[in-house]
Amino acid sequence: MEYVSPEGLRLDGRRPMEMRQIRAEIGAVAKADGSAVFEMGNTKVIAAVYGPREVQNKSQLIGDQALVRCEYSMANFSTGDRRRKQKGDRRSTEISLVIRQTMEACIMTHLMPRSQIDIYVQVLQADGGTRCACINAATLALADAGIPMRDLVTSCSAGYLNSTPLLDLNYVEDSAGGPDVTVGILPKLDKVTLFQMDSKLPIDILDNVMQLAIEGCKAVANYIREILLENTKELEYRRGV
Amino acid sequence: MLHNKSFVKKTKAGKVMKQVREHYLRDDIYCGAPFCKVCDTSAARLSDSASTVLVLDTNVVLNQIDLLENPAIDDVVVLSIVLEEVKNKNMAVYNRIRAICSNSLRKFFVFSNEYHRDTYVKEMSGETKNDRNDRAIRVATQWYQSHLGDAVKVLLITNDKENKRKATEEGIRAETVESYVKSLARSDLLDLVVRPSSEDVDMEEVEDLRPSKRKVIYTEHKPMSEITSGLHRGIYHQGKLRVNRYNPFEAYVGSESIGDEITIYGRTNMNRAFDGDIVAVELLPQDQWREEKSLSIACDEDEDEDEDVHLAPSSADDAPRTIPQQGSIGETNPISSRPSGCVVGIIKRNWHSYCGSLEPMPMPAGSGGVAHALFVSKDRRIPKIRIQTRQLENLLDKRIIVAVDSWDRQSRYPSGHYVRTIGEIGDRDTESEVVLIENDINSRPFSSQVLACLPPLPWSVSSVDLTNPIRQDLRNLRVFSVDPPGCRDIDDALHCTALPNGNFEVGVHIADVTNFVHPGTPLDEEAAQRGTSVYLVERRIDMLPKPLTEDICSLRADVERLAFSVIWEMTPEADILSTKYTKSVIKSSAALSYVEAQARMDDSRLMDPVTTDLRNMNSLAKKMRLRRIEKGALTLASAEVKFQIDTETHDPLDIGMYQIREANQMVEEFMLAANVSVAEQILRSFPSCSLLRRHPTPTREMLEPLLRTAAVIGLHLDVTSSKALADSLDHAVGDDPYFNKLIRILATRCMTQAVYFCSGDLSPPEYHHYGLAAPLYTHFTSPIRRYADVIVHRLLAASLGIFKLPPIFRDRPQLTSISDNLNYRHRNAQMAGRASVELHTLIYFRNRPTDTEARIVKIRSNGFIVFVPKYGIEGPVYLIPRTEKGGGEWYVDEQQQKIKKMDGSLSYSILQPVTIHMEVVEPQPHRPKLQLTLI
Amino acid sequence: MRGLQLPLSQTQKVRLQKALERLESLSSKVNSDASVTIADSISVNYEDGVLKGHGTAELNGEVVATVCGVVERVNKLVYVRALRSRYKPEVGDIVVGRVIEVAQKRWRLDINFNQDAVLMLSSMNLPDGIQRRRTALDELNMRSVFEENDVVCAEVRGFQHDGLQLQARSQKYGKLKRGQLLRVAPYLVKRQKQHFHHLEQYGVDLILGCNGFVWVGEHIEAKDDMIEEQADQSDSQVSRPGKNAVSLEEQEQNCTALETRKYICRTANAIRVLSTLGFSITLEIIKETVNLSLTVNLDINEMLGSEFCVLVAEREAERRSSNKKKR
Repeated sequence: MEYVSPEGLRLDGRRPMEMRQIRAEIGAVAKADGSAVFEMGNTKVIAAVYGPREVQNKSQLIGDQALVRCEYSMANFSTGDRRRKQKGDRRSTEISLVIRQTMEACIMTHLMPRSQIDIYVQVLQADGGTRCACINAATLALADAGIPMRDLVTSCSAGYLNSTPLLDLNYVEDSAGGPDVTVGILPKLDKVTLFQMDSKLPIDILDNVMQLAIEGCKAVANYIREILLENTKELEYRRGV
Repeated sequence: MLHNKSFVKKTKAGKVMKQVREHYLRDDIYCGAPFCKVCDTSAARLSDSASTVLVLDTNVVLNQIDLLENPAIDDVVVLSIVLEEVKNKNMAVYNRIRAICSNSLRKFFVFSNEYHRDTYVKEMSGETKNDRNDRAIRVATQWYQSHLGDAVKVLLITNDKENKRKATEEGIRAETVESYVKSLARSDLLDLVVRPSSEDVDMEEVEDLRPSKRKVIYTEHKPMSEITSGLHRGIYHQGKLRVNRYNPFEAYVGSESIGDEITIYGRTNMNRAFDGDIVAVELLPQDQWREEKSLSIACDEDEDEDEDVHLAPSSADDAPRTIPQQGSIGETNPISSRPSGCVVGIIKRNWHSYCGSLEPMPMPAGSGGVAHALFVSKDRRIPKIRIQTRQLENLLDKRIIVAVDSWDRQSRYPSGHYVRTIGEIGDRDTESEVVLIENDINSRPFSSQVLACLPPLPWSVSSVDLTNPIRQDLRNLRVFSVDPPGCRDIDDALHCTALPNGNFEVGVHIADVTNFVHPGTPLDEEAAQRGTSVYLVERRIDMLPKPLTEDICSLRADVERLAFSVIWEMTPEADILSTKYTKSVIKSSAALSYVEAQARMDDSRLMDPVTTDLRNMNSLAKKMRLRRIEKGALTLASAEVKFQIDTETHDPLDIGMYQIREANQMVEEFMLAANVSVAEQILRSFPSCSLLRRHPTPTREMLEPLLRTAAVIGLHLDVTSSKALADSLDHAVGDDPYFNKLIRILATRCMTQAVYFCSGDLSPPEYHHYGLAAPLYTHFTSPIRRYADVIVHRLLAASLGIFKLPPIFRDRPQLTSISDNLNYRHRNAQMAGRASVELHTLIYFRNRPTDTEARIVKIRSNGFIVFVPKYGIEGPVYLIPRTEKGGGEWYVDEQQQKIKKMDGSLSYSILQPVTIHMEVVEPQPHRPKLQLTLI
Repeated sequence: MRGLQLPLSQTQKVRLQKALERLESLSSKVNSDASVTIADSISVNYEDGVLKGHGTAELNGEVVATVCGVVERVNKLVYVRALRSRYKPEVGDIVVGRVIEVAQKRWRLDINFNQDAVLMLSSMNLPDGIQRRRTALDELNMRSVFEENDVVCAEVRGFQHDGLQLQARSQKYGKLKRGQLLRVAPYLVKRQKQHFHHLEQYGVDLILGCNGFVWVGEHIEAKDDMIEEQADQSDSQVSRPGKNAVSLEEQEQNCTALETRKYICRTANAIRVLSTLGFSITLEIIKETVNLSLTVNLDINEMLGSEFCVLVAEREAERRSSNKKKR
């Protein structure tokens, strides 16, 4: 299968180094402390953050820091074939864990001892790269909830098909079975907090692919930063003095 | 820069699914004209001063690809929508148009109109996909015209009448292929133009020349929708049609839905399907299932195609298909239990171009005009093809290539068009060329890019190589090579040193080809494409360029050469104590031929070191061989022949069986051992991406013909395991000396060939090599002439940590496709070799009618097939003249495998020796063939 | 930006846009530059020495924000005032909370903080008003004071034993009845001298809890005299128990007047509109909004519609610009 034409265009008309269009919206869930919708092309996820709040299960309480929990799910209507997905299957458990660990690493949990933060992410439309979109949405929601963080976390995927590194794989490219690298970075600290790959890739190519994914993360970070700043300014001027 | 447009697509995969795909429209797609002032011209492909730019419609690319390949057609814009349509319809044409587009000499530019902001068109409601694409082509053409301005004439080339009309309406200049080619005033191009089938032609342009022939011969193909629903309901069965190589009126369709093969008899039932087409088949009612016709030697009333004399097949893959019998042979039903059917539709065509010649015909009166001729393919599975030509007188005695275009219901034969001429019929070079083309063998000289990868000549081992820590200096060893006489590409050498502790150090040294062929270079790609060297009787087509093959890599005597060595320490009982792999530098002390080596060993007076080594090795080899046979390795036999070629005329002077000596077996034994050792090593390091070679265990059905034959002559063969088979073959000693070999030949024929595979694709038990009774096997010892060995060399080097594993090994599908290609090339090379031998056999017997002894190997209703051991050929002998039908004089005794005269005066049984007369006859001019008659 | 979840017509959209733009232009330029997001570096004058406050951290010698908000500087102190976040309690804050749990000698209250707040039985004025040791009987009768889901008004006492302690040692605190509890973002409620308000013309009590919980309820007379709390103590001590017993019955019989209930709803809806628009919630603005709804003669339910929302935004823009001119 030809995923990059000799003219250098992908199936959806992007060039190998281009991302899909991204769009973010803060405050999608009225009752949550923080919430956001994040779109990467046709992938659309919603995230809601509750907390920090009283720990529900007292046995999980941590004396000197906050407990972070995360639940990932896919809406029944998110994929082409609408079928009921039971909760807590292996894939969503794994992604929940990945998101939780990634977010926990940047939340300043020691500032909120004896409390718990719940992050709920749900995929509304799946078109590849849901993991990345979820992390980006969760970052936005956490920032909206006013939870102190060391840095933003942004994530982007990259793959390697037809001997070409491709940024931000969509569903068709993702299901091609090639190597797929998901990277999450702390843009300000310039550190990688998440790195996932399921297949093998020679080390020199991995380097290229990963670099590309990091570039993608940075682009996402710039966008997220813009959105957050705009949101903050708006809240401030609306409130008035 | 990005514009987003999501659209909804429905696909039918059992159920309707909604698919949403993004589609980004861009404004950074350029027109490809170097004189364009707006666009980025760095990737421009059109010529600087193009006055006419052609835009092609899909049907033009699909049908006129031969014309487009002609360099006279240039300054062409190929739209991405056209490419996409072509890709969906015909992959082969797609690859060809892609090749033209990427050829830097041609001025073809691919314009991604589907992603351009101004040329993307949205499907309108009620518009079919086809109409939408046609509109997209017109929109793109119009865009080009307005983009490039009036100085350039943008011409839409289309054979679709409707599209042309609409284009003209919209103010686009459009022409058909014919009128455009005519305007070029090049008559040679006109032959390349495919005659449009009736629906696309404007009546005034092409008049029907054969109105009388308009009668319907074939039933209509069912529409695709009906086929799909039929397949679903289980009325039709889908499968690949394979025409019997030896009887073009019989074909098989392997259907998964009924788990059996459906036999299709006759052209009418085949209903215009070609070999390799994916077809839909409907079963005939059971009472029409015919008894196996294969029992008679094929002949059909209107075409004189029959079984030819050919080389004896060497494995089940190239033997005529034998149909597994169901039930015991004794109780033959009048109605066969094998399903037969007829083709109702063709799902995917496998048309390509074919080699052959025109059927002789008188010159039409007005020469120079358009003539119709019938083309007969060399490949007997292909029906005759009708072509139209303006240069009939030139083509009549030529081998030509013809491509198929269409086949309508009214014509008995498909119609096609002339592509190119190869040469005179009967000319040996031409016929060899045909053999190469038929087997898809690339015999073109190596390109300059490939040759640029070679090291500068004269080449010698440099000090850098000697000091390289990965390379061991083995120049002090007494290394020598043993090969067939006159061998120039020596890729293996041996040494054998007695150690003080009584053991032996035995080394196998293989030319270090990977030192010169680096992954990813044009040289490597070319070698991977060629896959193997091809040995024809009079010439060799190298996989690697000559300097590498015959000099730099060849382990010639008395020169220092780089090698990849496998060194064992062996006990005198030939037990391997340790194995070492290393890159090395060697200096061969002698390049012996098999005859020389054998002579040295046999001459007890000779006591020189090389001879001693030879004798030591020989004794080790014998023990290894014995052990191998104990484990169940089969000693198979094939009827290989050897020609003696006149050095001046290249005509065969003599022909004879290939003689196998002890020296051959000795070298073979060590090569096998090296291959096995290397296979173990690479699999240990790379369990999922090693290239190995397997030989599948033959199934009971495959061995059935052998068992039947054996049963008739009262021989019991045990086929439960390779060991049992080997033993029973050993015990099959008849009263005449050739009997055992004949049985072995028949056994070999029942088995499929060994194949390359990627270890990740199969599970370890399937790695087994049946013939060698080895759990693991690969090819390591001939990297000069086999690409598989090159890959294995790289794997071995990587497993030793000397080199990094090239990235391609991580890509499993690609590795699989490489091994598939190697199998394909390997098989083709063998077929070509056999075809070449057949060709030379014919040339040899042209002036030498011979009487010789032969064996009956198969009984047919009107004669029998004989095998001539001396010349390794097989062919039919007719007891009943072919013009006579029925011929009640003879009848076949199935159980006894005998053909008897009614009055019982004469009978011939299987494996019986007969004396036959061989002579070349020419039933038609330029069509010589070998005829066998009983004396 | 936070989108309104209201269907707006084209003209309404334009009007809202205009009003918001006006608001944006009215906000001081200084402040808009002070907005930061997470990991933005904050420029500080290191020579003077810096005290890093809330919402800041040090990274490679730079001061960076850890939350989205507005940078505030007080002398050497630099901190980021987070906008949307949970309530950050300060001692003395008046809060409104909801009882989550009745536990050993204490009530747990949800006050929109990281944890539940604790109101000890000992930090409560008992119904009889007598200062005494709490007996086991008192403990058993805790539910008669506050039950689960009761809305309670209290004051932040401070942090003790890893928990936030509240107290309600005054008559003005205690259980809130006959009204509505609204939850708004805490940053919209400013700390002020007065958090208890009585809207006389509507007969409605309004408590703006610092934690963003706003109480709108029927006016209760007894609470009126908080200034002379001390003097009244003896009186209440005597009269309360009896009065309480009577009035409970009384009140149950003649429930809140329809008129008052309507005003409660009107005020509550006014606060809801302000909250969705993200305008700060003060007595003045609430009153104005309620008045606006009355002058345009809107039904209570219509107040949550898009038209009123746009109207409020326009009025707010008007108000702020006139305020500015006055200055």
